[in-house]
Amino acid sequence: MSRRESTRPGDRTGWESWLGDRRGAAKPPSLARDLDDVYRVGPGPAEWERARGALSRILGENVPAPLYYARIGRSPVGSLWVAVSEQGLVALEFGRPETEFRRRLEQRLRRPAVRADDPTEEARRQVLDYLNGRRRRFSLPVDLRHLTVFQRRVLEAAQAVPRGQVSTYGQIARRIGRPRAARAVGQALGSNPVPIVIPCHRVLASDGRLGGYSGRGGLRTKAKLLRLEGAMAR
Amino acid sequence: MPVLDLEALVRDYARPIHGYLWRLLRDSSAAEDCLQETFLRAAASAARGDRVTHPRAWLYAVATNAARSYGRRLARGDRREQAMDLDLVDVGAGVPETAERRERLRRVEAAVRRLPPKMREALVLRKYQELSYIEVGAALKSSPAAARANVYQALRRLREWLAEEVEG
Repeated sequence: MSRRESTRPGDRTGWESWLGDRRGAAKPPSLARDLDDVYRVGPGPAEWERARGALSRILGENVPAPLYYARIGRSPVGSLWVAVSEQGLVALEFGRPETEFRRRLEQRLRRPAVRADDPTEEARRQVLDYLNGRRRRFSLPVDLRHLTVFQRRVLEAAQAVPRGQVSTYGQIARRIGRPRAARAVGQALGSNPVPIVIPCHRVLASDGRLGGYSGRGGLRTKAKLLRLEGAMAR
Repeated sequence: MPVLDLEALVRDYARPIHGYLWRLLRDSSAAEDCLQETFLRAAASAARGDRVTHPRAWLYAVATNAARSYGRRLARGDRREQAMDLDLVDVGAGVPETAERRERLRRVEAAVRRLPPKMREALVLRKYQELSYIEVGAALKSSPAAARANVYQALRRLREWLAEEVEG
C-alpha cells in the first residue's frame, strides 16, 4: 500500500511520438515529459492513508444500510423530498435537484441513499395529507440521531408546540433550560432536517414577527403553514 | 451482467479512483470528499442490486460526475473557497530543480485546467489511469472513437497554448 501510484514508464514512447515530440529539436520542452512530471506521480502515501481512513469510517466493516428517499411531486408548498432510515424520518426538504438533495443527505448522514417508493410511502402520505388539510397531526417516527444534543432538545421542544398555536425563540430557549440561547435556538430550528413534521414554523421571533424560515419560499411558506393550521388569519 | 460487489470495488479500485480524483482536482480534501461520494453511490447501487457490465468503467463514470459537480459547486462558491493549489511543492513528483522548471510546470497545469472537462478527463483516464479507449468511452459516456478524439484534441490544444506562451 505504500507504493506510489504511477503509470508504467514504458508508456512514454507511444505518446511522445503521437505528440510529435520526437521530431525536431526539443524546444520548447517536450509536452509529454511536462505532463508526466505533473501527473504521473499521484497522491502521496500520506494523502492516500487519510482518504482511505475516511472512506473506511463511512463504509466500515459492514456497509451501512441505505437510506430511502422519494419525491412528493406536488403539494401546496411545492415539491418535496422525503428520506427515511430504519428508525424513521431523517429528511424532508423543499424541492431542489435530486442529485443535490441526495448528495447532501449522504454527506450529512454518511450513508448511501437509494430512491425507492415503498419504504417512504407512509411518510409521503402523511405529509401530503397534512398539507392538504386531511390530517391534523403526524404519527411518524423521526430519526434525529445524527444531530447534537442541543439541536435535538430544541426540536423536541418545537414538536411540543400544538397545532394552531405559536411559540417564540425565547420561550423555547427557556423551556430547554437555556434562557440566554434564543439565537442558538433560532439556528437549531433553521437547520431542522424535517420541517413541517417538526413544526419549526410555529416558532416566531419574540417581537411577534415571523422570524425566519429556511424552507423554499421562506417566510411566505411559513405564513402559509400557519394559516393552514389556523394560527394566522387567512 | 454481474451484480456490484462493493467490497471488491473498494479493494480493487478505491486507490486508483482516489488517484484519478486527485489528478483531476489537484486538491487533497476535494479528492477525499469525491472519493467518499463515489463509494457511497457504489454502496447505494450495490444495495439496490444494480447490474453493471464494466464495474471499473462504471466507477470511473461515477467519480467523474462527483468531480464535475464538485467543480460546479466550487464555481458557484457554495463551499468554502478552496484556493486551487498550483504550488508545485504539492505535485508529489518532488520539487522541480529550478524556478524556471517550476514555472513551466505551473503553466502546464494551468493549461490542463483550462481544457474542457471531457478532454481533461479523457487525457487523465487514458494516460495516467491507463484505461483502454473502450473503458474511457464507457466512463465518459461516449464512444471509444470519441474518447480517442478527446485525448488527441486535449494534447493538440495543450501544444498550441503552451507553444504560444513560450513564443509570446
